[in-house]
Amino acid sequence: MNIFMREMKAYRKSLFIWSVGILFLIGASMAKYAGLSTTGQSMNEILTAMPKSLQAIMGTGALDISKVSGYFGVLYIYLLLMATMHAAMLGATIIAKEERDKTAEFLFVKPVSRTSIICAKLSVAVVNIVMLNIVAGISSLYLVGTYSEGESVKADIILAMSAMLILQLLFLTIGSAIAAISKKPKLAVAISTGILLMTYILSIAIDLNKKLTLLKYLTPFKYFEAKIVMNGGGLERKFIILSLSIVIIFSLITFVFYRKKDLQV
Amino acid sequence: MNIFMHEIKAYRKSTFVWTLSLIAIVVLFMSMFPAISRDIIEFQKLLEGFPEPVRKALGLEVENFGTILGFYSYMFVYITLCGAIQAMHIGTSIVSKEVRDKTADFLLTKPVSRTKILTAKLLAALTTIVMTNIVFFIGTTIMIAQVQTQSYSTKNFILISLTLFFLQVIFLTLGIIVSIIFPTIKSVLTVSLGTVFSFFIIGLLVSTTGDGGKRYLSPFKYFDQAYIIENASYETSFVLVGMGIVIISLGTSYIIYMKKDI
Repeated sequence: MNIFMREMKAYRKSLFIWSVGILFLIGASMAKYAGLSTTGQSMNEILTAMPKSLQAIMGTGALDISKVSGYFGVLYIYLLLMATMHAAMLGATIIAKEERDKTAEFLFVKPVSRTSIICAKLSVAVVNIVMLNIVAGISSLYLVGTYSEGESVKADIILAMSAMLILQLLFLTIGSAIAAISKKPKLAVAISTGILLMTYILSIAIDLNKKLTLLKYLTPFKYFEAKIVMNGGGLERKFIILSLSIVIIFSLITFVFYRKKDLQV
Repeated sequence: MNIFMHEIKAYRKSTFVWTLSLIAIVVLFMSMFPAISRDIIEFQKLLEGFPEPVRKALGLEVENFGTILGFYSYMFVYITLCGAIQAMHIGTSIVSKEVRDKTADFLLTKPVSRTKILTAKLLAALTTIVMTNIVFFIGTTIMIAQVQTQSYSTKNFILISLTLFFLQVIFLTLGIIVSIIFPTIKSVLTVSLGTVFSFFIIGLLVSTTGDGGKRYLSPFKYFDQAYIIENASYETSFVLVGMGIVIISLGTSYIIYMKKDI
């Protein structure tokens, strides 16, 4: 419990900064929507006639950006990027920092098992990402609601946010597993953000080229797409199962490898 | 000179990985260009069915994507994002790592002035960035030669590619000043990613047309590729602001670092 409280305190400031960042992103883009929605009507006709690759370049996909739900769909990918980046870095640092800051000696000679230390640390990380998710959810519900003009978007936003939570969990465990395996604690964060950026760029490439569609299982950013979620398509069951199994596998890896790890002191 | 060589060696591996990934992005996107340019030609035919004003509003942009330079500048956004992270990361870590790794007392007790240390480190960082850019430029030229369908303006291509270097220098100096102003940075990557991404997102929200002065808020918007393609030059005011940022942050870094308590 001590470890839990200590880590909660240590991450308080960073959680606050991230929340402000997310709030700013949603606020600023919705303010931009107010200007856009008045001119969007005729644009949309053309946008739907565009070839898929071109839609991807314009960043709209199959979303109707003259409606608030479609606009939120465009914004959603950036929200995802921010939230998953927070999760991946958090997962990697919370495990690796004891070695990096040379506090491992201090912590691991205490009469606490490694398993319970990892347990405490991972629960702190989960609490942090859930809180960030709630901040993102509430601010989208509120800010999108003010521009919605009667269009009901609540259910879709809540669905999108739960998809975001699953992806956050996924990247959190990827980060922690990498930190648990990697021999150099300094590299853990770099590798996990590298993986994150690579999967993000891969998801853009898949949008641009139909031949790459099969690769969508490799990039979590394709698991729950805004154009499906925001158009009432819900979350696909196979991807929920896939991502949850990834989460379970990587958390197991974290525990198993960390228990036997040669700590650098 | 010793410090310079030491730093070059220390960053050799990471520079190699960064350069390679930049080129990988170019290869990935450019290999899709032939298919996309075909799509766009078809779409242009379809566009002819729409009324004149609508066509004008959108047509220009679409035509741009159909050309190799237009597509290159679309993709360049992601290149600059990665490049900015690399530069900011080097800038933030190269000075602050001495304190973090507790090697500062070793280095600073040597008979070398702090000015010299900072200059050597700065030059090393600059060299790695220049190397990245040279390799990137060669790789991109080869890749574009493979997929181009019609001739393109080499001058514009060079001008666009050079903006990567300018952006990297801006973020490098930003990184250095951040690492000098703040006492100790525990996680360099968090700080640099945070800064770069906030500027990137501000850049996304500020469109190049219409928003006017807001473009000064994000270095990502200082070099507008559409403008470069059209006029074959940079926008002077933004170049000046960029240079201003570099000079001011370097100057302050030197002044603060002279007297800093390590």
